[in-house]
Amino acid sequence: MVTQRENHKWGMVVDLDRCTGCQACVVACQAENNIPINTQSYFQQRRAYEWIRIERYWEGEFPNVKARFIPILCQHCENAPCEPVCPVFATYHNDEGLNVQVYNRCIGTRYCSVNCPYTVRFFNFWQPQWPDRFRNQLNPDVTVRTRGVMEKCTFCVQRLRRGEVNVERRGLEPLTGERIPVADRKLNYRQMKEGNYMPACVQACPTNALQFADQHDETGPVKAIFEEANGQIETREHGGHVDEAHTRVYRLFEEVGTKPNLIYLKKVDAFPVDKRPR
Amino acid sequence: MMPSGKMLPLVVAGGVVTVILGFVVVVLLISWFSNPPFGLGNAPAQPVAFPHTVHVAENNIQCEFCHRNVTKGEAATVPAVETCLFCHKDIDGATVTAQAEIDKVRTAFETDQPINWERVHRLPDHVRFIHESHIRYFTDETTPVKYGINGEEITQSPDVAQTCTICHGDIANKTVVKPKAGQSLKMGTCLDCHRNNDVPTDCTVCHK
Repeated sequence: MVTQRENHKWGMVVDLDRCTGCQACVVACQAENNIPINTQSYFQQRRAYEWIRIERYWEGEFPNVKARFIPILCQHCENAPCEPVCPVFATYHNDEGLNVQVYNRCIGTRYCSVNCPYTVRFFNFWQPQWPDRFRNQLNPDVTVRTRGVMEKCTFCVQRLRRGEVNVERRGLEPLTGERIPVADRKLNYRQMKEGNYMPACVQACPTNALQFADQHDETGPVKAIFEEANGQIETREHGGHVDEAHTRVYRLFEEVGTKPNLIYLKKVDAFPVDKRPR
Repeated sequence: MMPSGKMLPLVVAGGVVTVILGFVVVVLLISWFSNPPFGLGNAPAQPVAFPHTVHVAENNIQCEFCHRNVTKGEAATVPAVETCLFCHKDIDGATVTAQAEIDKVRTAFETDQPINWERVHRLPDHVRFIHESHIRYFTDETTPVKYGINGEEITQSPDVAQTCTICHGDIANKTVVKPKAGQSLKMGTCLDCHRNNDVPTDCTVCHK
């Protein structure tokens, strides 16, 4: 009996050309993952919990400015700086390419958050509290983190597990809807495919700026983009003609060498901001 | 040699500290080895004295007849009052005490009140356990050999009721269900069984 978990390598592609900065992903994430409600005081202390956040930049000088948005979440780095510094092994890389945070193992040293170049790890400085009327909207699939543990984006791993159970239960191929023979329908039936499971932010994105899929899935939408980013194929649109200016693929802080599993696609501006001084 | 006058307070203080530390160590040892510690394993008081012996052992009612969700979802669920009335609409108790308990159930049904059963087996919030998957695995006939928690081979595919006993023990012959009646529901127990059966032991399988 062999599990097929290691066949997966989850990844996300963020198309900045499509991002409108609407913050729907942020709201979806907060609701899905039982994230405490951020107050003004949390922000002022720089202790707000934002597993995914939209960073806004202004481009250009005053009359001629444009807003630029970048959604930033845990990059699930291959070479994650947060992992080796954890003294209790509470954060590690699993077979599916996810950077996992084990809440009940964490002792709250906060080394990982110090070492993270993307500042996407958040420490519970307080016991999370919700108003009474919000108690019943907590997601039962997600642990409510207590005070003193680190938390971060999980790529909604609870949805992945839920999807696996659904595959078992219904016995249907996730994508094609074909019936799986009973002999193959076991606990270890792990043929999860994209479309069967997606994080809350991806599901909420109105412009499909966020795409989530298995990098090993031959037919998946992101495989070609990841291959381009890894230098395995030349640029897609301009096949055969390698021109740095024409490829949109980049990773955040590529020079740090963290090898993120998130890929960003540059914004294509039809009317670029005139940056010359007037 | 008796300690001199100057040393005496130090010796007394040292003795006190030793006694306190010893007490702490003893308490820690007791709580570690007695499982569960300090009587926490006692059965909670239930609103209705429900004997599994009569229902399961004598009358051979299947587990999933009352714990309806056990093959369909995460929680096994306790039955609704209505479920009891399927039979107890007509069936009366054999003894006066049994009849008194059945009357409680009938009153609850007539007054539309739920029976507030006390939970016996409780896992921590950060653990997700899905009954459905485990029962599907053990009752699946296409996997020829399964292994129990202690590594014992299970060659005959058990039915649902036999699967329940793997973790919950022999509930059928227990008048009162106590926590840890079968296996201790600690993480080590889960891991042993997962390793024996070669199923994933990644943290995110259970913790999320």
